[in-house]
Amino acid sequence: MDIFEEIRALSEKYPDRRGALLHALYVAQKDAGWLSQEALNTVSNALNLPQATVKGVATFYSMYKHRPMGRHLIQLCTNVACMIMGAESLVDFLKGKYGVEPGGTTGDGRFSLVIMECIGACDRAPAMLVDTDFHSDLTEDNIVEIIEEYK
Amino acid sequence: MIKVTIDGREVELENPVTVLEAAKQAGVIIPTLCYFEGLTPFGGCRLCLVEVEKLPRLQTSCTIMTADGMVVRTETDQIKAARRSILEFLLINHPLDCPFCDKAGECDLQDLVALYGPEAGRFAEGKRRHPESFDDPIIVRNMERCVLCTRCVRMCDGPQGAYAISVTGRGSHSFVEPFSGGKYNCEYCGNCLTVCPVGAIMSRLHRHSYRPWFVEKEIETVCGFCGVGCSMVLQMRENSIIRAIPRAGVGFNKGLLCVRGRFGYENVESEEQLTTPLMKVDGDLKPVSWEEAITFITESLKEIKDAFGGKAIGAVASGRCTNEDNYMLQKFIRFVLGSNNIDSSARNYYAPAEAYLERIFGQGITANLISGIANSDGVFVVGGDPTAINPILGLQIRASCRGGGKIIALGAPGGLKRFVAYELMPTPYSEEIILSAIVGRLLKGKALSGENTTVEAKLRSLKIPSDEDLGMTGISSEDIVRASDDLAGMATPVVVIGPDIIQRERASKNLARIFLLSERPNYQGVMDMGCLPDFLPGGRPVELEMFRHQIEGALGLKAPQDKGLTLFEMINEAETGGLKALYVMGENPLFNIPDSAKVKKALGNLDLLVVQDVHLTETSGIADVVLPATAWPEKEGTFTNLERRVQRVRKARRGRMASYGRDDWKIIADIAERFGMTKQYLRVEDVWEEITHVSALHTGLGYEDIAEGKAVWPYCGKPLRGMEGDFSVEGLDGLPRIRGSKKPYLMIERSLYHSGTFSRRSKALLSIYPEPYLMINPLLSERLGLAEGEKARISNERGVLELKVKLNEDVSDSQVFLSNTFEGAGAMGLIGFGIDSVIGSLYIKDNTVRVEKVRV
Amino acid sequence: MEKFLLKNIENPDSASLEEYQRVGGYKSLNKALQLEPSDIIAQVKAAGLRGRGGAGFPTGMKWDFASRDVKFPKYLICNADEGEPGTFKDRPILEKNPHLLIEGMAISAHALKSDRGYIYLRGEYPYARVVLEKAIEEAYAKGYLGDNIAGKGSGFHLSVHQGAGAYICGEETALIESIEGWRGQPRIKPPFPVNVGAWGMPTVVNNVETLANIPLIVAIGAEKYSAIGNPECPGPKLFSVSCCVETPGVYELPMGITLKEIIYDHAGGVRGGRKLKAVIPGGISAPVLPPDGVDCPMDFVNLPKRGSMLGSGAVMVFDDTVCMVKVCWRAMSFFEHESCGKCTPCREGTGWMRNILKRIEGGFGRDNDIELLQDISLSIIGKTFCPLGDGAAGVVLGFIKNFSDEFRYHITNKKCMVSKDL
Ligand SMILES: Cc1cc2nc3c(=O)[nH]c(=O)nc-3n(C[C@H](O)[C@H](O)[C@H](O)COP(=O)(O)O)c2cc1C
Ligand code: SF4
Ligand code: FES
Repeated sequence: MDIFEEIRALSEKYPDRRGALLHALYVAQKDAGWLSQEALNTVSNALNLPQATVKGVATFYSMYKHRPMGRHLIQLCTNVACMIMGAESLVDFLKGKYGVEPGGTTGDGRFSLVIMECIGACDRAPAMLVDTDFHSDLTEDNIVEIIEEYK
Repeated sequence: MIKVTIDGREVELENPVTVLEAAKQAGVIIPTLCYFEGLTPFGGCRLCLVEVEKLPRLQTSCTIMTADGMVVRTETDQIKAARRSILEFLLINHPLDCPFCDKAGECDLQDLVALYGPEAGRFAEGKRRHPESFDDPIIVRNMERCVLCTRCVRMCDGPQGAYAISVTGRGSHSFVEPFSGGKYNCEYCGNCLTVCPVGAIMSRLHRHSYRPWFVEKEIETVCGFCGVGCSMVLQMRENSIIRAIPRAGVGFNKGLLCVRGRFGYENVESEEQLTTPLMKVDGDLKPVSWEEAITFITESLKEIKDAFGGKAIGAVASGRCTNEDNYMLQKFIRFVLGSNNIDSSARNYYAPAEAYLERIFGQGITANLISGIANSDGVFVVGGDPTAINPILGLQIRASCRGGGKIIALGAPGGLKRFVAYELMPTPYSEEIILSAIVGRLLKGKALSGENTTVEAKLRSLKIPSDEDLGMTGISSEDIVRASDDLAGMATPVVVIGPDIIQRERASKNLARIFLLSERPNYQGVMDMGCLPDFLPGGRPVELEMFRHQIEGALGLKAPQDKGLTLFEMINEAETGGLKALYVMGENPLFNIPDSAKVKKALGNLDLLVVQDVHLTETSGIADVVLPATAWPEKEGTFTNLERRVQRVRKARRGRMASYGRDDWKIIADIAERFGMTKQYLRVEDVWEEITHVSALHTGLGYEDIAEGKAVWPYCGKPLRGMEGDFSVEGLDGLPRIRGSKKPYLMIERSLYHSGTFSRRSKALLSIYPEPYLMINPLLSERLGLAEGEKARISNERGVLELKVKLNEDVSDSQVFLSNTFEGAGAMGLIGFGIDSVIGSLYIKDNTVRVEKVRV
Repeated sequence: MEKFLLKNIENPDSASLEEYQRVGGYKSLNKALQLEPSDIIAQVKAAGLRGRGGAGFPTGMKWDFASRDVKFPKYLICNADEGEPGTFKDRPILEKNPHLLIEGMAISAHALKSDRGYIYLRGEYPYARVVLEKAIEEAYAKGYLGDNIAGKGSGFHLSVHQGAGAYICGEETALIESIEGWRGQPRIKPPFPVNVGAWGMPTVVNNVETLANIPLIVAIGAEKYSAIGNPECPGPKLFSVSCCVETPGVYELPMGITLKEIIYDHAGGVRGGRKLKAVIPGGISAPVLPPDGVDCPMDFVNLPKRGSMLGSGAVMVFDDTVCMVKVCWRAMSFFEHESCGKCTPCREGTGWMRNILKRIEGGFGRDNDIELLQDISLSIIGKTFCPLGDGAAGVVLGFIKNFSDEFRYHITNKKCMVSKDL
């Protein structure tokens, strides 16, 4: 099923096709890891929603990306609990180790680093999501091990 | 009854309204920013906070509804402090660049800060930055100034229904985006400019060249672009228009304008305006004096009349001229020269369609109020995109949809794309079959009421297409059933008929309110004024003696008793030598009538061609005499819009060169005097006076009544022509043959951004739509190997054009579209025409074209 | 206390329908389907259940409003947005006990005569989505969801709607906007969702934990239920405990237990035996309490009396190594990031305060910054469109009230009071 069809099918879950928009944006983002104008247009066409409206919605939510991303997405939480448990030094560490700034992508395009608000893992802080996997109780040692799993 | 007390004043309310509205009624003004009358309430700016007794928090008066016994205070210290802090917040990210900002002087934020604001801000950090955007034609955006009231977005998604902009981003990083070069269906209506309270969305026309307080004069007039006739205000400085704006509360357009009305006025300031009469000397047009020109015209006409009779003379009236202009032309041709050969480009579709509908349903059938469309529960749109041809009428259809109305389109829905329940897209030229099938189905479903036997008899004689007939159209019988049932289910249906389908009309029940789209501001007036070969002023048939005598009596002049020639007949006659002189007022037949080559040949054959116009056009280029006339903002008089509302047009300027141009009616009256017309007209009011005596539709209607905006005819005029002595309607019992073609049909694009040739000198409109292009469907473009922006050659036996290609998914792949706007590249040139034998309208034929890629 | 909400979650298969049924799951649904909808609503009212999403609104009353509205269809939405920093209490239900939620929703739907439900799941919980979707599939297969639930005629359809990273979508009207596919900004109230909610229809939005309490109420009855914890707001409550404690985690304890008990008896006390400096009792939006606040019972009644609130029941414990200015700054940068931008004070005020806090934290504070912060907070409070902005301002006022010395120290000495090598 191509993306267009997949998005169309989603709208059946809602009394109004527009309800499927958030989900559709995830579908459109799935392959490239970000939403190009073309991807947004696909969503707009599939759901017959105005392009400007789709753009407005897509930019409201922080999990939709509007620039090309690395192959893997590291979403590191730095909210209060993670901050107290050392998330900030992990950010510095990643910068030193991989040369990646928050919001940036490694030179080889392997991963992008994004700072997150609370991801609901405060009891095992600091924590992060790599793509859709949770990793917690992070330290400088284990974070390298974890990241090395994602090529 | 709800009683509330606001700042000690009691107000009684019939229905619950917001506290803000109640306060207004009590004469209490509460400051607002995100509130705008007519837009959905938002409650975001928080400036309108008030105290309501018994409620713990301050409440936003724009959102809270009144309840009986409510006690409200709007100006306590607590409230003032709150407003001060809200304004301080708003200024955090606002650039304070009032000295450079065109909005200064009419900026809500500036005014509010002056009233409530802090003396000095305490914000010491850097402001958010966002570059000013010039991505769009006409509009410049400065989102650093934006206060996120979202009025523009609510306007765009609400009344305008263009959905071209949205707030993007979140929190203080939100920006309104993105018109960006028309990327998102921006219709450039500029209604966002009206609502923006600060200088975030501004016009690029006259940027940095004036301040609001430079406006010296404001003229309330009616837009000259199309037959809707929106009210607008022209703001003047030193005799030049600096801005056209709508005024809420004036006119039925309720503060809305379309791109043409708001930005198109510049075309009348064009350098190319004619400054002096021109006469052909040795094949070239040379400047001459008015006296020379008028004398020449008078003498030539006299000669022709003497030699061949009045019938050898014809005239073309104009949908862009006032009622007064057209009336005078009609009087001159008919009563002075003795010829009924007068017609206009309304003949292209508007006039015959109206005549046809009136022949079935009676006079006035298309006199319906535009504002009523929004309240209807369904609209059937046939043969044209109302949102492009008559944009403000189109908005009413969108509003009907938002209110739950069902919109059904026969043909491409265009700007109604997001509003139609569905569209029927038949193969070209089979619309009539579809309509007949729908009527057939309706007749089966609903027994005729028996109230109107004449109408019903006509309906019964209609040939109902068989399934086989339908097979050719690409529309299934299920679609017909669905559409018919939907139409039958509507309690207050509206039918909107556009220029692309003029012939038979669906005729279900008289319930339907019919609207004919009108490309020109005064097509209706042209007809009311008797600029028709078969009708006298007031819609009285020239052949009926009783009516003719009435008018002849009023004028003390005689008119010929036989029908005259239609526009197309005049062209045929000119070609064959029967017509010797043609007087053209404000029209460009050489460009605006199909088959330019034929028209050119015909007009070239005339002994005398007189053209009165504002600019040099294709037609005036081959004229014997050209007379400079005044343009729409220089005119005084009246237009009659498509709902038959007579409205005042007021003179705004004598522009740079316009002092050379004369009013059309005046020029003609001048010539008529030399023919012995004794009546003197000093002012335009004198012409109108006469009209009210001659036309039964306008009896007793003064300019003062018109100014009140209530002059929708028939008012206090004589009763309309009844159904008695009805005309027979022939040709109901046949169906058209569908002409299949491998080659695509060339169709006229009726763009939102242009209005025939009238707009081709407007810099603003040209900045959006700068050059002619061929609009084609992506499928067809693939077949032809033509990509967007590449050059295509289109040709048929009438000519060849080379144009850039533009892709458009919304058009069918058996058609290509080209506007009839640009010099040397008009669609009409390649289109052939025939004349319908039943209703005399033009029908398009032989308009297939070969499309190929131009190799460079 | 016997665990109900987190029952059996140590079991690796706890999320499966089979395992859930093995420990008694779906019995309440079967029981509820025998009852009249109005009886269930009456029971929930009598039980005194108050919403666990933060505001503590009586659930039975909300249901009553919705069921009195004559419009149909009615929607039931589970708020699984769990965005409040420090909160992770719904996560174990979503990931390990999904059938409890589904059962709770099916019962609620029956009570509300709703035939369509959505679980609004935050975008940050991708694993929960997998678990929930599988559980929903199982429930459909077993007839606990579908057109004819348990053969009793009433139907209920349920699906997951995943958010995409916007805290404000936890607010119920913003959540509804988001389900409908708009930018998640709060709506004007009234009308309230119980009358005009999703797609203009009566809609009940309840937190995960609230809905997870429903099977218990049906199982043991209102009377027994209301005997758990504080009678004014009874029932079991999930507390997420984090930051400087020995054993952070989610604890299911009776409502009204004191903070002290939670920290010291359940979460192992302050880490390394350090000194307690401050506690946030209800997630980052709840004003901070000084150490002497720990004797306060954790419920919707007592915390407000101490100037804070129960919120989502997220207990964040800070020891003496934590800089209060820094926590306050980080909290404000969260609010600034999450402000939806609809209303002026929150949109502009949070960013301004974040800037000031950042500068104080970085040693560039100015003399009157504390007063300025207080002033800005007071300019925000009571004037915002929704509680997010109010919350942000309240947080600043709370920190300043309890730790003004520390703020002042930062400003005068241009450095942190908490020594780095503590
Ligand atoms: C800014 C804001 C964020 C909220 N976030 C959540 C949330 O993440 N989860 C939640 O259940 N309720 C949240 N709420 C509360 C909801 O608005 C609503 O009160 C709740 O979902 C109702 O469910 P309950 O009655 O079961 O508590 C939030 C409220 C506000 C104002
Ligand atoms: S307080 Fe205002 S800006 Fe902030 S989240 Fe609520 S509505 Fe949005
Ligand atoms: S005018 Fe009421 S909140 Fe803006």
